[in-house]
Amino acid sequence: MAILEIKNLKAHFHTRRGVVKAVNGISYSIEPGQTLGIVGESGSGKSVSQLSYLKLLPSPPLKIPEGEVLFHGENILAMPEERLRTIRGNKISMIFQEPMTSLNPYLTIGSQLIEPLIIHLKKSKRDAWKEACAALSRVGIAEPEKAMKSYPHEFSGGMRQRVMIAMALTTRPEILIADEPTTALDVTVQAQILDLLREIQKETQMAIILITHDLGVIAGLADKMVVMYAGRIFEEGPVEKIFHQSEHPYTRALLRSTPRVDVLQDKIPVIGGSIPDLSQVGQGCPFYERCEFRTDICQSTFPTSRKIAHNHETFCHVEKFQ
Amino acid sequence: MSATPSLSVRSLKVHYKLRSGFFNFKATATLKAVDDVSFDLYPGEVLGLVGESGCGKSSLGRALLRLQEPTSGNIQLGGLDFLSLHGEALRNVRPQIQMIFQDPYASLDPRMTIEATLREPLEAHGLWSGIDSQKNLEQLLDRVGIGKKALAKYPHEFSGGQRQRIAIARALVLRPKVIIADEPVSSLDVSVQAQILNLLKEIQKELHLSIVFISHNLAVVKYIADRIAVMYLGKIVELAPKDHLYSQPQHPYTQALISAVPIPDPRIEKFRKRIELRGEIPSPINPPKGCAFHTRCPIAQESCKQHAPELKNYRNSSQQFSCFEVK
Repeated sequence: MAILEIKNLKAHFHTRRGVVKAVNGISYSIEPGQTLGIVGESGSGKSVSQLSYLKLLPSPPLKIPEGEVLFHGENILAMPEERLRTIRGNKISMIFQEPMTSLNPYLTIGSQLIEPLIIHLKKSKRDAWKEACAALSRVGIAEPEKAMKSYPHEFSGGMRQRVMIAMALTTRPEILIADEPTTALDVTVQAQILDLLREIQKETQMAIILITHDLGVIAGLADKMVVMYAGRIFEEGPVEKIFHQSEHPYTRALLRSTPRVDVLQDKIPVIGGSIPDLSQVGQGCPFYERCEFRTDICQSTFPTSRKIAHNHETFCHVEKFQ
Repeated sequence: MSATPSLSVRSLKVHYKLRSGFFNFKATATLKAVDDVSFDLYPGEVLGLVGESGCGKSSLGRALLRLQEPTSGNIQLGGLDFLSLHGEALRNVRPQIQMIFQDPYASLDPRMTIEATLREPLEAHGLWSGIDSQKNLEQLLDRVGIGKKALAKYPHEFSGGQRQRIAIARALVLRPKVIIADEPVSSLDVSVQAQILNLLKEIQKELHLSIVFISHNLAVVKYIADRIAVMYLGKIVELAPKDHLYSQPQHPYTQALISAVPIPDPRIEKFRKRIELRGEIPSPINPPKGCAFHTRCPIAQESCKQHAPELKNYRNSSQQFSCFEVK
């Protein structure tokens, strides 16, 4: 049973230069204990798709003209703000890329950590403090009592991200949205944080929505994934299938053009051109200009879903492109 | 390699004096960003410089260009004692060594047309010769895949990838022998990154350029570099041809670093054993005594806390690393 189901979600920004269709009709679902990877390049809509339904983006300019986001069957988009507030930061928690900008520099770690416990779980200050300490030691912070009294600038990037994870986990969320959680970190620290996420998920069975541009991170952590491009989903399926039996020209090209540390490559095949301007994309496939297998129909209509196998879907008109 | 190096660096140090106090700026501590680094860069060679943030790779790059004056050491550029040059003599040598920066949004002047941007270095060095130079600029822009129509345009009219192509053209305008490229593809998307890497590689071969390619991304460096130097807290801990570095890394830090890079293949990535490092890089202001890596090293011994190892050759090969424990 899906814990979160997104159906035909659209998120448009109304700007002076026109309507930017950041998310242009996407659907997928996630189950408890599962990790869903959302991969895409900048402007693909991978972050906006999550931030929009949680109402974390200013509106206007953001408008959601269409779509449903069902959390345990209840449509988040139709909820009153007060009801959403009991879910956001509580049952659905988030961690972001830059832990320095998501922590308040004026407040101690402790006062920021106990806040969600007091607000969402109605704990007393003393109980909240105890739980926050436990959460800090759970994420591998050596002296939690001391850390609680420190300010964010006293920590390194990796430690701050641990604090963010601790904060996101205090309310025992059912879904954790991790938006580029390790992009600002060095690789050795990234490995530590990814291991931590893996462990915690095993213990708590929470679902993780992992947003990243790094295919390596997805390969290690995700069970299933969606590939996004210019506001559209191009392919969805189990990680194993997408990496080894992709049925979309963009996914394949993206995988081929990623430099690898384990293979000696003489020449990387490239995708020509660049990502389209989102205010200019029409009804066709946004990859049309760059696709080597394009046909006439691709320019005028975006394809409907085509089932490849159980759980594996592609959005491409061309059936045989290798 | 027997040729004379294009760039030869010996015992280079970049130390920053940290000052505190409001009225009397007293030097209270020294940050050793680059601490005793030596290497050679040969004609037509790409040397990758990798390491995590704060390891001194960018400081080293800036010192090689004399954008930051080194504290001590020696740099030979095409046989000249680069650090002893001043004024006119320095200016005459500068065209030989050029740079490409990470952020093409910040490194191009938004108020200058592409033509003005590309002309400026030529005029500054008295090399602008009117129509011939103009032709060269057009050819150069064609070569980097932008086209001469770009000459009259401004940077904001281009995407990140295109700007980086323009930055490459600007670095090539003076026909340098050496290019220092500091994270030139780090701000680009994967699909664009591959284009720029291939372009750099082609041009490097065509012009027989020497490049110091600075990056935190070990996969990118593996693709573009011939030899790779791994830095940790201001020092080179391993220096080796790329096939050796990735297949038989010797220094425990190199091993851990390579094992931490995620591989875009779930069949491999989900079952990989990593060498886990404790903690994070210590501050370069008070680096650990002895071997700077000993606080995180999985094989450190008592002696590593006392003495700092020097770079030594591995089994008579050209692979060098600095560790007491690996024989």
